[in-house]
Amino acid sequence: MLEKSTELHKKFWEIFEKQDRKKINEFKMYMDRFAINFNLYKDGNFIEQSLPFDVIPRIISKSEFSKIEKGLQQRVTALNLFLEDIYTDAKIVKEGIIPIEFIERASGYLKEFVGFSPSKKIRTHINGIDLVKDSSNDEWVILEDNLRVPSGSSYPLSIRDTYRKIYPEFFETLNITPIKSYPKFITNAMNYVNTGGINVLMTPGRFNSAYYEHSYLAEKIGAQLVRANELEVINKKVYFKNYNGKKIQVGAIYRRLDDDFIDPKFFNPESLIGVPGVVEAYLNNNVALLNAIGNGVSDDKGIYYFVPKMIEYYLNEEPILKNAPTYLPYFPEDMNYVMKHIEKLVIKDVAEAGGYGVLFGHAMTREEIENLKRVIKADPRRFIAQELIEFYDEKCYLNNELVNRKADFRAYVVMGEDVKVWNCGLTRYALEEGNYLVNSSQGGGFKDTWVMEL
Amino acid sequence: MNQLLTANVATNLYWLGRYLERIELTLFEINKAYDKIIDVDKAAGVKLYQKFNIDLHYEGVVNFLEEAIFGDHPANLATLMINARENAIIARPNIDPSAFGEIIDLHTLFQTISTHELLIDYKDIETALSLISEIWGAYEKKGHRKCSDYFLKLGKLIEEVDFRIRFKKKEEMTNLIVKDINSIFNILDTDFDKKMKKSPDDSKSKNIIEDLYEKVDTLIVY
Repeated sequence: MLEKSTELHKKFWEIFEKQDRKKINEFKMYMDRFAINFNLYKDGNFIEQSLPFDVIPRIISKSEFSKIEKGLQQRVTALNLFLEDIYTDAKIVKEGIIPIEFIERASGYLKEFVGFSPSKKIRTHINGIDLVKDSSNDEWVILEDNLRVPSGSSYPLSIRDTYRKIYPEFFETLNITPIKSYPKFITNAMNYVNTGGINVLMTPGRFNSAYYEHSYLAEKIGAQLVRANELEVINKKVYFKNYNGKKIQVGAIYRRLDDDFIDPKFFNPESLIGVPGVVEAYLNNNVALLNAIGNGVSDDKGIYYFVPKMIEYYLNEEPILKNAPTYLPYFPEDMNYVMKHIEKLVIKDVAEAGGYGVLFGHAMTREEIENLKRVIKADPRRFIAQELIEFYDEKCYLNNELVNRKADFRAYVVMGEDVKVWNCGLTRYALEEGNYLVNSSQGGGFKDTWVMEL
Repeated sequence: MNQLLTANVATNLYWLGRYLERIELTLFEINKAYDKIIDVDKAAGVKLYQKFNIDLHYEGVVNFLEEAIFGDHPANLATLMINARENAIIARPNIDPSAFGEIIDLHTLFQTISTHELLIDYKDIETALSLISEIWGAYEKKGHRKCSDYFLKLGKLIEEVDFRIRFKKKEEMTNLIVKDINSIFNILDTDFDKKMKKSPDDSKSKNIIEDLYEKVDTLIVY
């Protein structure tokens, strides 16, 4: 189902009809030419490929985006307070808002970090929040919070530059908000929490799926792109190793690898992509890590359920943006509901991500449903259930024809001295008609997102 | 020169300069040999590749291009270009964006010909040479040079010296290039001479290439 067309859409289509459609191929040529890739490992082989791109942008009016912006600022502020709280006083647990087992069983919760406060008490520096627009009430709904290492911002940033070159008429004629501020948001956030020294962006390396993004963002935010062996910890301080042997202190690390791999001395001793001793430097506040270690707890699908309660608890405000209606089988009442209505629900394994571990009740056989019920009953904390949201399709121009595809929207929120919401984002569309999974790892593509006004 | 650069990026820029220069100079020589093989000297390609210590076999001028560029030997240009692309991807934030695009185009050109079993012809060589000229041109146009630019240039010049020695070109010119290279070492590290514990001019009596390699190893600290 498509969203009702607005004046903004009409203006877009008026110009689009006059454009030379052969030029659409230039987007792919550009992405190949500049190796704008999303890398994959398939059957043990390393494959470099560009993300499928669709030329029809998602259009969001400025007034509509303004509500999203306020809602995201509110949500990320509350999540930051939540993380700071559970790693220090844990008031939200003591006051019975969130059961302790939900915190302790969240895979990203790290007990070893209790009592530690990072630089400026900021933990949620760079965040990707996934939303969809519910066709039943025209409201934007939050699907997921990504407060660890969200990726994807480089693709719309890169493609916008290309779009302006290939089809400048849109940008000349329409009132499309410029998007170049995003790297500056990150630089400012890094500078704000920097404990003294240079900024670096730490990559697992050339063969990481998002290496293009790492190298692109490093250049745009003015940080050195480094691998683990290019940093060294001496006396609990982190140093950048320059080519001439000189060592320069590092004050902030935008790390693009998960907690488990960041320091083989502290976490996984097998990690070859981490910096030995970096956690100790961090715990001594000699370096800032973006994002903070231990944020995984807030990405947990079980914790997601409690975010509206966090907003009320910490900010004393009503949530501006709502969650998808969610049930926790952990609570007996919710368990009953899930067992009764499982056919119409989406069941998610809280430990999975990237579109994996998502089961649609309506697409399962009777036998599969009975099996799933047994698994849920045996380990209720492992699952959440959500009402299937009929989110809007977006018009896509694929293989020379206009088709409809389900599309979500990842918004990027950066927290430094203040909370900034980027007026663009990653609109991801599903590969096939009717498919609800839009993740790049599931073969989905992306579109540009235009925040516009008349 | 206060640009920060990791040893890994510096090395990749250096090798990018070397590979691109090697491809360019090899293509120049292939062009000359191609012309001779047609009607002057059928063995011109064999003689050329002897300078690279490669025993090249071919039947006719078209097959010479195939064997020279895509043959199973260490001077296979498609393989060199794969290496150059890797260097560029790793060092990307420090490479001029238009030069980066040309490098990817050059890689695509070689891969397309080699994987689609198309016959390479002189036009492909001209296209490749023109792309390489554009890559160098992107750097020549720059007013202000950064460390990263000098590492690329260092690789380019050292490769040129290597070629000149292999092809027994005029020593006078080679020495001028070496002088240029030595000035780059000092630009990239003001303490370079102290680190070498000798004057750069002392290297004249030694094997020039080995001496330059030693200097590169001293310059880039892992």
